[in-house]
Amino acid sequence: MNAPFIERSRSGCALHGALATLGAIEGVVPIVHSTAGCGIQYQRGVTPFGGAVPSAAGFGPPLSSSNIGEKHVVFGGSSRLREQLKNSVKVVPGDLYVVVTGCATEMVGDDIPAMTKEGREQGFPVIHANTPGFHGSVHRGYEIAVRALVEQLTAVPDTPVAPVPGVVNLLGVIPQQDVFWQGLLSGLSQLLSEIGLTVNPLLGLGQTVDSWKRVSRADLNLVLSPWGRDAAILLEQRYGTRWLDIGGVPVGAAATARLLDLLTDGLRLNTGVVDLFRLNEEQVLQAKLAGLAPLYFASGFQRDFAIIGELALVSGITEFLVATLGLMPKLAVVTDPLVEEQRAALAAPLRGILAPFETEPLFTEDAAEIADLVRASDCELVIGSAFERSIADELDVPFLSISFPLADRLVLDRGYVGYAGAIALVEDIGSAILGRRPS
Amino acid sequence: MSTLSGRAPPSREKRLDTLSAYLGEARALLQEFDRGEPDQRIRTFSQSTPDDLFVALQVLAGVRGAAIVIHGPRGCASSQLGRLQATGQNGGGCWVVTNLSQRETILGADGKLRDAITALHRRHRPEAIFVVATPAVAINNDDILSVVDQLSDQLATPIVPVFASGFASKSAVQGYDLALTSLVKEFLTEKPDHSAQHVNLLSLSESVEDRREIERLLAALAVEAHTFPSGAGIDAFRHAATARLSVALNADQAISLGDALQSVAGVPFLSPPSPIGLAAIEHWLAAVGAAIGKEKDARELHAREVADLSRLLETRPLRGARVYLSLDPATAFGIADLVQDLGGEIAGISVEHLDRLHLDSLRALIDRAPAAMIHVGHAQGFEELNLVQRLGVDLYVGASGHLAQVAHLGIACLFLPRVPVVGYKGVASFARDAARAIRNRGFFETLSARRPPYSAQWFQRSAHWHIKQEVR
Repeated sequence: MNAPFIERSRSGCALHGALATLGAIEGVVPIVHSTAGCGIQYQRGVTPFGGAVPSAAGFGPPLSSSNIGEKHVVFGGSSRLREQLKNSVKVVPGDLYVVVTGCATEMVGDDIPAMTKEGREQGFPVIHANTPGFHGSVHRGYEIAVRALVEQLTAVPDTPVAPVPGVVNLLGVIPQQDVFWQGLLSGLSQLLSEIGLTVNPLLGLGQTVDSWKRVSRADLNLVLSPWGRDAAILLEQRYGTRWLDIGGVPVGAAATARLLDLLTDGLRLNTGVVDLFRLNEEQVLQAKLAGLAPLYFASGFQRDFAIIGELALVSGITEFLVATLGLMPKLAVVTDPLVEEQRAALAAPLRGILAPFETEPLFTEDAAEIADLVRASDCELVIGSAFERSIADELDVPFLSISFPLADRLVLDRGYVGYAGAIALVEDIGSAILGRRPS
Repeated sequence: MSTLSGRAPPSREKRLDTLSAYLGEARALLQEFDRGEPDQRIRTFSQSTPDDLFVALQVLAGVRGAAIVIHGPRGCASSQLGRLQATGQNGGGCWVVTNLSQRETILGADGKLRDAITALHRRHRPEAIFVVATPAVAINNDDILSVVDQLSDQLATPIVPVFASGFASKSAVQGYDLALTSLVKEFLTEKPDHSAQHVNLLSLSESVEDRREIERLLAALAVEAHTFPSGAGIDAFRHAATARLSVALNADQAISLGDALQSVAGVPFLSPPSPIGLAAIEHWLAAVGAAIGKEKDARELHAREVADLSRLLETRPLRGARVYLSLDPATAFGIADLVQDLGGEIAGISVEHLDRLHLDSLRALIDRAPAAMIHVGHAQGFEELNLVQRLGVDLYVGASGHLAQVAHLGIACLFLPRVPVVGYKGVASFARDAARAIRNRGFFETLSARRPPYSAQWFQRSAHWHIKQEVR
């Protein structure tokens, strides 16, 4: 498929998505096989804008990179990769080395699988992922990296793997492209552990190569965005693992309750435990939201809003803002590069939320088009990326950053998932509104 | 070797014997240069490093009123997001990426390039559009020129091709030549009939504060400075051709612009060392003063400004501190002097590249410290961490992403791009920021709880282990 040109793209390339994914696993050392600048584009154009990345052993910057030159473009770069791989193992300790390729080495035709096979024969734990930028966006890079880990780290058994009851993998959360990825994965893990599940978030602090080796033993794969479906299908094919796509990030009581119901039915959980947990959490959330009431009226919380971001978070936040806070969606722009069929099928829940407001989700990642849409929306609150901040300033309305690229706020561990995440979201939107209030 | 003929200038390696890898005695390296062509070295282990594309994009992004089309897969445009952090680029500037697919890297994408240029023109009416090639386009040799020629006429807007490849040179500094020669070929007019009194102040990577400081000093000499190309529009090129002379703030970066102004428009080009550190500032002002008949004014200005700094200099704010530098060469040699002006000691120097433009600086380094070592490497954090932990360093001054890794060694770090360093004000601001980093070590100690990600074996090896002679 030929993708459109993009003004001010808000996603790097497949190589960057693979680097973000692999960099979120402790003990994994990516080795870039490409021209020198590919890793720098990632370090300067992705990591500063996707929330802070925790330091885990083996993670840069700077990245191990073969930095191929003209000679290698002409004669091939396989021997340079062999040398880089052998020395990476000596300089950077790791449990798994992953060769990720850029456009130049793919166009030249270097035989990467042969090189990594040779490495394994010498006893190096090394796999590969073909991730040239021309394969697509960061999202595609996440899919390719996850596929490489699943296909090359785990064997397909002769007899089916017995799933461990109550073990759940989380799929579809792309580090940095989802700027709240850490808060989402840790928040959801915490929430699900309260109802007796054992969660394998696969990415983030404490997640290792062993977490991926155990990926086949899950009872259920929980898919949190369209970008987790490829892995879920792959795992179903290989191991027969069930999967559940919940269509987005569950923000607040209603969405979380739906998730808990699905899990209770699907995994035959103790309803008593789940109900008690849910009741407690809902009461806390309701009490805290009641505390918002005076400000809600005094500072005019009830507003028309425009939201711009990726489908999973836009769906979750919009549902919460509409159903729980009584805000009105004027514009919802979905920026992940979904193909036509995905737009039709996967955005159906968002469509349902927007329908009463005679609003339709729009799909584009072109910043100029989005700017025009926001300007024309007549909204009173903008929720989006750094690109939309200047438009909100132009319109003189409050603004909250929630999507990549993030340039005006620091995210170390924040996330908008579940009950606690809903409170965090209300705090942040409230602060944006109060911060704009004329003095 | 002309830099203005051909699609892209010849590599710095060919023109200036530019090195991107070396670790050893400065004296031995100087001898290699003196003997003729120095030996090119390569790394058998390397880390990601900026390339000509990255630098060319930074230069072009600094040209006001222009738009950029990055012709390649979408990742080649990622560094453009850096403009969200740059002053005056609210909204992230004006750029488009053609977002090439695999099929398009094989079959070409001239139609899409045409659409992208046309859309940028329709949406923003930029004064000029730069079309920047990328590694994928350099390999498949996509026909940019015919699209550019056709649309330049059709849209009545200058459209400038910039043939970056990401692999033609091992030194990112090549990106300055690439962007500047492309701009010069399009916008620089020939020697004009009349000349004006202003001086071209060639500035590329300097901060606004640094530019203002040097403009202040030139104003004190009653010289009107015309600062460009960074932060100026394309009309600046026409104006530049009428100047009485050009002077660089960083000659490594500005050389191809200064040379072109001299050869095409007859504007003399001065390229003294960057005005960082007292001796270099004096020299820089003296060079400009001499060229415009104001030597005495320049001397007096220097004396006045140094007198204003005398109390600070007397306190020797960096006394006893061992400082490691990892910077572009022109800045590194300037900061090395400045550290010593302030009472500090240089523990070691890493420069991004080194070539024939730096032989005087190298000699000066050897004169002061005959056994001085020099490390040539751009963003090669693994080598620097190895060196730094052996040398006993109190302050690391750098500009690359691996600065944070150095901080994990518990060493105080200063990120230089945030610190004004040019001129007399630069002396004061560097002194303040360097001293407070050394004194306030809380965060460096916090970070030292986690070791940087290199093996114990690597820290035991000599830092030049992976630098080898290239087999020709």
